[in-house]
Amino acid sequence: MKKIETTLESVVSDLTAFYDYKVWEFLTLNGVAIDEGTTEIQWIFSRYGAIDDVVIYYAPVKNSETVPSVVDLIPSAIISQREIVDMFGITVENSEKGLYLDEDSLSAPLATCRI
Amino acid sequence: MGRKIIDIPLGSQHISLLEPIKFRFACENEKIVDVSSDVGFVHRGIEKACTTKFAYDAVPYVVARICGLCAITHSLAYTTAAESLLEGVVTRRAKYLRMLLVELDRIHSHMLCLSHTAENAGFEAMFMRIMGDRESVMDIQERITGNRVQFDYVSIGGVNRDITTDIEKEIRKTLAFIREKTHGYLEEFTTNWSLSLKFKGVGVLTLDEAYRYNAIGPLARAAGLATDVRSETDYLPYNEIGYEMRVGEGGDIYSRNIVRLFEILNSITMCENILGGLPEGEIQTKMKGKPTGEALVRLEAPRGELMYYIRGEGKAMLSRVRIKTPTFASIPAFIEVFKGSEYADAPAILASFDPCMSCTAK
Repeated sequence: MKKIETTLESVVSDLTAFYDYKVWEFLTLNGVAIDEGTTEIQWIFSRYGAIDDVVIYYAPVKNSETVPSVVDLIPSAIISQREIVDMFGITVENSEKGLYLDEDSLSAPLATCRI
Repeated sequence: MGRKIIDIPLGSQHISLLEPIKFRFACENEKIVDVSSDVGFVHRGIEKACTTKFAYDAVPYVVARICGLCAITHSLAYTTAAESLLEGVVTRRAKYLRMLLVELDRIHSHMLCLSHTAENAGFEAMFMRIMGDRESVMDIQERITGNRVQFDYVSIGGVNRDITTDIEKEIRKTLAFIREKTHGYLEEFTTNWSLSLKFKGVGVLTLDEAYRYNAIGPLARAAGLATDVRSETDYLPYNEIGYEMRVGEGGDIYSRNIVRLFEILNSITMCENILGGLPEGEIQTKMKGKPTGEALVRLEAPRGELMYYIRGEGKAMLSRVRIKTPTFASIPAFIEVFKGSEYADAPAILASFDPCMSCTAK
């Protein structure tokens, strides 16, 4: 598992340079609460046909910031972007709330850091 | 006159659905031109529970409750990730027994999908036949693990029960029975005119779409995309037990059925090879310490790739458990297949995806 740090400003251009859709499978978008008010957002990929070749681009995100959408590059990312919005209360460009949680549900249940 | 688009919902409760999911089809006459989906009807907060209510060594039994069909794969993916953080080594016998259960899971899960696909084509008798035969697989799973579904079989360090000579005989007998039956299904699915009419050229996912929408599992392989986590990881020694990847062509319902039927036959062969080459030794290794660091594990569940990401800080409870399930990842591909299809075909197409909403909403 190889981790590559990126930023919200450069993630789209970094992923555009990296992602060849016939070489890499986009696994999912992941979030990890790292301290109060900050979440590490991860874009996870694996190479088709290779043994355990997993690459994770990650960026620390303040909960007040907006994460850019990568759906133009990776159409299947839309569903995990919506999940991150619900679970961490983060704003992701062009991704609406309500995939899992109703309006009266506890908001952002995974945003609280346990470290 | 302008185009007239009407919205037709399918779900959240519908005769063709086993679990709640809602699609809203925008249709022009009978043709679906746009689709939206709602998948979160059975969200249970399991990721949250795994980091707030249960210690890391209890989590295998929690995640086994995500899905009744692929409980083994969930608990195995989690335990493999935890074992890598604990730097423990599992015995070869335990690994073989784990593979045996994963492949038995695949056999009965594929049988469930095939039966519902037949049912959605109006072939009720075929549905009954396959579901009846499937019971024998459930029976041997019960003999091995003690449960028909939601097995508490895999634990950190190995498995919880060994098999006896009597159980091995029963497994072999059941595998021979299922092989014979599967050859019968294969003939029916390939030669029955009614099924061909309903399945050939219907619900097509092209190879390019499979790549572009990151299709996985039988859905991807039926479209010609040669991807299977069993050949892309080395946690389990699949290369020793006769694993073969089956790639289809056409990407339609028919192709998905055929891929699943051949995967059942391959899983039967693998189970027989596991029993024939079952190593001697213990089924449990004691592992000490608390998980520290992060690990990512992928396994091939019956519906495709299952991913677990865990992070531990040396405490009894983990700080993150991320579960990416096959159906969740495939929703964008499902939507793409629906576009351009006839509304009347939607239930059969949906059944051929083999969706699992318990996994998806977790």
